[in-house]
Amino acid sequence: ASKMHGRKKSYRVTDLARLMYNDTLSPAEVLRKWRGEEQNKGEDIDKDTSADAEDGEDAFFRKAKQNEMDDVEDRMIPDYDYAKLEERWTEESNMASLRQHFASTSLLPNGAGGDE
Amino acid sequence: MAATPAPAVLKFTGSKYLVQRLVLATLTGRPIRISQIRSSSHTSPGLAPHEVSFLRLLEAITNGSQIELSYTGTTVLYKPGLITGSAAGYGAQGGVIKHELPAECKRGVGYFLIPLCLLAPFSKAPINVLFTGPGVITSSTEAGDVSADTVRTAVLPLFKSFGIENNLELRILRRSNAGKDGKGGGGEVQLVFGHQVRLPKTLHLMSAGRVKKIRGVAYSTGVAGANNARLIEAARGVLNEVAPDTYIFSDVSSAPFVPAPTRENAAAKRKTGLGFGLSLVAETNTGVLYSADIASPPAGGEPPEDLGKKCAYQLLEAVEQGGCVSSVAALTMLTLMAMGSEDVGRLAMGKEVLGTEQIVQLARDLRTFGMSGWGLRDGDEEDEVVVSVVGKGVGNVGRKIA
Repeated sequence: ASKMHGRKKSYRVTDLARLMYNDTLSPAEVLRKWRGEEQNKGEDIDKDTSADAEDGEDAFFRKAKQNEMDDVEDRMIPDYDYAKLEERWTEESNMASLRQHFASTSLLPNGAGGDE
Repeated sequence: MAATPAPAVLKFTGSKYLVQRLVLATLTGRPIRISQIRSSSHTSPGLAPHEVSFLRLLEAITNGSQIELSYTGTTVLYKPGLITGSAAGYGAQGGVIKHELPAECKRGVGYFLIPLCLLAPFSKAPINVLFTGPGVITSSTEAGDVSADTVRTAVLPLFKSFGIENNLELRILRRSNAGKDGKGGGGEVQLVFGHQVRLPKTLHLMSAGRVKKIRGVAYSTGVAGANNARLIEAARGVLNEVAPDTYIFSDVSSAPFVPAPTRENAAAKRKTGLGFGLSLVAETNTGVLYSADIASPPAGGEPPEDLGKKCAYQLLEAVEQGGCVSSVAALTMLTLMAMGSEDVGRLAMGKEVLGTEQIVQLARDLRTFGMSGWGLRDGDEEDEVVVSVVGKGVGNVGRKIA
């Protein structure tokens, strides 16, 4: 139940506005707090976005090896776990929710689910 | 500059966000000192080759910049000068600055192009830089740089919404993938940025719209053109279902020759930068661009079908994150907004895009450089945040003084 509670509060905009300029926290910590992961940062929690999973891993590596940090700096393209992405985008329910971002699908409720 | 008292030096630490800080320093005219650059690394302390090269580029397009490195290269003191661009008499030949990248460079040319584009609107004269030398990788790299194609199709169009749209051109003269061990290439890229402004327009981008078309470029350098067809086929297999208007161009070129002198033959040359890759850009009906980029790893061993699919999934991920900017564009957009006139600009961003370390750090760095803080509020769509940025009207520092 406490986990549910923690999840519900994450991703609130007001939280980020408060945390963003709090200089006692590093950017990584700010984001972890914002996502509501502060209790279980090391564990692989059931987040479906690979970006989150990667972030947790990232923080883990940084503690282990300092040199690792130099390799992961300043990326423009996020380092996705492609196996996870493929899994995600081959699932029909995810694909259906993505369709609303595309102009080719009708916005009418009866046409929304239709595909070839 | 002599009349105004020298502003206090801003201090930063660490090798992360180096480029973003150097760009902000140049734009605002504030001197900065960055210390502890990889000071804990035993194998490669101090600045990396690409970072030194970026400092050289800054020196080339500005007049009066001072750069001081410590002996170990772990500390940089940078006093920015005026951004003069490719004006005659400042190292430009025939209006073109030639910038050579060293062979050890591991970053793609996108690493240099995007910050350069950010500086270019505030230059005194048009910017015309030719990237050449044995270190130019035009493809995307494993270090996470976007390809030159993506810069051309997904970053340069962003400037249009700031009223900067004339005479922008990125010519990819010769393609190259990353060479052996991901180091060096042999490509050639020319950036022409001919539209300079005093202040970028205030931006209000609130509606992301829906993706109406997808364009892309598949490139093969020094390998069979069939790889392009396989990349395109795989990417279309994923994308056709959601976006029938998908068109991917195919570009096949031979691998660049770079000098590789040996003891026997001083004039020896070898081919480098073989490989293939794909750059995809999705455009919505409101002109928002999402991009994805992938290239074959220098070690090889990935079939084009896999890469094409990965690129398509990466694009879907970017579309799904939503907002009016993708993570590739966010840095450029937010910095330009902060440089704008003293008015509130608004930008709807996806939470995933806003919630990255780089963007949070950008917010903090901007404040350190004397910009105003961002206002955040919930967007119209779920998962969207509206970021309000008040410009400080400093974009014109160089042009006002000059």
